[in-house]
Amino acid sequence: MLEADVELDRREFRLSAAFAVAAGERLALFGPSGAGKTTILEVIAGLQEPGRGTVVLDGRVLTRTAPPRRQVPPWQRRVGLLRQDPALFPHLSVRQNLAYAARTRPGPGAGRDEITRIAERLGIGGLVDDRPARLSGGQAHRVALGRLLASGCDALLLDEPYTGLDASLTRDLTDLVREVVAARQVPSVLVAHELEAAQAFADRMAVLDQGQILQLGPPAEVVAAPAARRVAELVGYRAFVPLPADPGTVAGVHPDRVVPGRQPGRGVVLAGPVRSCRPAGAGWEATIETAAIETASAEGASAERPGAGAGSAGAGGTLVPVRLREAPAGGGDFTFTVLAPPCFRPDGTRVPRAEEVAT
Amino acid sequence: MSWAASPPAQVAGSALRRTVGSASGVASLAGALVIWVALLGPVITLLTHLSWHQITTALAVPGALDPLLVSVESGAITLAVLLLLGTPLAWKLARGSLPFPRVWEAGVLCSLLLPPLVIGLLLIFMVGPYTPIGELLGHVHLSATNTFLALVIAEVYESAPYYVLGAQAAFAAVDPAIEEQAALLGDRPSRAARRVTLPLAAPGLAMALAVAWARAMGAFGAVVIIAYHPYGIPLQIWTTLQETGLPTALPFALVLLVVALPLPLAAYFWSARARGRRRA
Repeated sequence: MLEADVELDRREFRLSAAFAVAAGERLALFGPSGAGKTTILEVIAGLQEPGRGTVVLDGRVLTRTAPPRRQVPPWQRRVGLLRQDPALFPHLSVRQNLAYAARTRPGPGAGRDEITRIAERLGIGGLVDDRPARLSGGQAHRVALGRLLASGCDALLLDEPYTGLDASLTRDLTDLVREVVAARQVPSVLVAHELEAAQAFADRMAVLDQGQILQLGPPAEVVAAPAARRVAELVGYRAFVPLPADPGTVAGVHPDRVVPGRQPGRGVVLAGPVRSCRPAGAGWEATIETAAIETASAEGASAERPGAGAGSAGAGGTLVPVRLREAPAGGGDFTFTVLAPPCFRPDGTRVPRAEEVAT
Repeated sequence: MSWAASPPAQVAGSALRRTVGSASGVASLAGALVIWVALLGPVITLLTHLSWHQITTALAVPGALDPLLVSVESGAITLAVLLLLGTPLAWKLARGSLPFPRVWEAGVLCSLLLPPLVIGLLLIFMVGPYTPIGELLGHVHLSATNTFLALVIAEVYESAPYYVLGAQAAFAAVDPAIEEQAALLGDRPSRAARRVTLPLAAPGLAMALAVAWARAMGAFGAVVIIAYHPYGIPLQIWTTLQETGLPTALPFALVLLVVALPLPLAAYFWSARARGRRRA
C-alpha cells in the first residue's frame, strides 16, 4: 500500500495531491503537461521534498513534514522509477545492469539464476552480454524494467516511460508492466498526458490539473461521467453545446461518444450541416455545425431540468467534432445522437444525472 | 575542454572519399594537413637534429639525469595534489552545487589566464620567506622558495586549471539521470560515485590528468622565479642552453618529451577507445 498526501508550492500554483494505491493496484496520474504529475512521483521517490505532507509505503514512513520529521533518502526507499530515458549504465553489460541492485540490497537479492530468469521472462535473455549502446529502444526499456525487478522494489513509478515509442512496442511494454505489477503485487503509479496510455495501464485514474486532483475513479467512469467541465476537456470532450432550456448549462460532446442517426432513447439528438470531414484512424472525423438541440433523453437531462430536452431551440451554431465509422453523406443536415452527454453548469460542475439523484 | 573520440577505422575510407569529392573538401584537407605537419614540425625537427652520439655524451655527464628524477617526483606529487583537491572541486563545479558557481569558475580561469611568469612573481609575494605564510612554513622548518616544495607549488599552480577544467567537463558529461537511477536502486551517493560516476568520467579524468602532467613536466615560467633550485628538466634545458649552447641542450629536450608525452598519449588512446566502446 502506497499512501501519499503531499503539498508543494510551485511558481504557478500549489500542488496538492492525496491518494492511496493498494498492493497490485495500478493508478494513473493523468493530466496536461505542467500539471505537477512528475513532481508527485519525484516526491514519492524522495528526489524532492514536499512543503507539507506524508508518504507512507507498506507502513514505512518515507516522508513526513510534521514532527517527528522524516525524509528517507532515495537510496533507502526501495521505490523504482522508470522514465522516458531508460538511463542504463553504459559502462556495464546488460547482465551487470540487471544485477546492479542485487549487490546493494540485502534480503531477497537477485542471484545469478534469478537474473537469468528475469532476462528470459522479459525477452532479453540473448542480450545479457551486450552493452546498452547496442540495444534498441524497446530492448533498453525491457532492461530498465528488469533492473527494477531484480532490485526488488516495493513500489513502481512510471513517468511516461513509453511516450514516443511506436504503438505496438508501447502496448507490449505496457502489458509487461501490468504482468509484473500483478505478479509482484506492488503498488504502481503511471504518469501520462495521453488518455490512451493511462487507460491501457490503469485500474484507477486521477485527473490532475494545475496541481489539483479533479477526479479519481476507474478510467471508463471518468470518461463517461467527468466530474467537471475541465475534466471533460482533458479527457477529450471537444464541444460543449448550450442547453437553451437552462441558460448557461452545456452538454459535453465527446467525438467518440456519438452514433449517427436519431436515437432519442440513448442521448441527445443533434443535427446540422457538415463543415469538414477528414479520415481519422479507421474512420472519419467530421465537424458538424449544430443548429439546434432537437430532443434529449431522460438520462441526458438532469432531474433539476426535467423539460430540457423536450423542446427544440437554437444552439447558436456550435462546431461539434465527431468520429464516425462511415463518412457522412454530403448535402443536407447530418443527424446524430450524443450518447448520454454529461451536462455542466456555468460554474463548471456537472449536473447530476437522474439515476444518480435517485440513488 | 573536450576530447572527441576518433572515428572507427572502417569509416575512414568513406570519409576520405567524401572529403576529396569537392573543391572545398580538397582545400580543407590541404589546410588540415598543413596545420598537422606544422604542429608536428618541432618534434620532427628534434628527431632529425639529434644524433645518438650527442645523446649518449650529454646524458653520460655525472648527475645529468638528476633533474629527470626531480621532475618526475615533483610531477607525481603535483598529480596527487590535483587528484585529491581538484577532483571534488571539478565535481562540484560540474553539478553546479557551489554557491556563486561563476565566481568559482572565474577563480580557476584566472590561474589559467595569468602568465606563468606573473604567477611566479606573485607566488614570491605570497609564500616567500618574509610573508605570513612563509613565516608559518619557517616554524616547521620549511621554505617555499628554491626548494622542492616551491617546485611542487609552482607546478600545481601551472597545471591545476587544466586538470580542474578538464575534469569538470568529464563530470558534466555524466548524465544525472544515470546517477539518479543508481540512487533509486539503493546506492548512497558515495557508492554511486564509485560505481557509476567515476567509471563514466574516468576517460575524461585520465585525459585531464594527462594534460596536467604535461603542463607540470614543462612548467617553467613560475618555476624559474620561485624554484630555481632544485633543477627540473625545463630549467636544466634553460641553463644548459645558456652555458653551453643549443646542441648540448637538445638531448634534454628529448628527455623531457619522453617523460612528458607517453602518459598523455596513452590516456588519449585509452579514453578514445573507452568512449568508442560505449557508443558502439
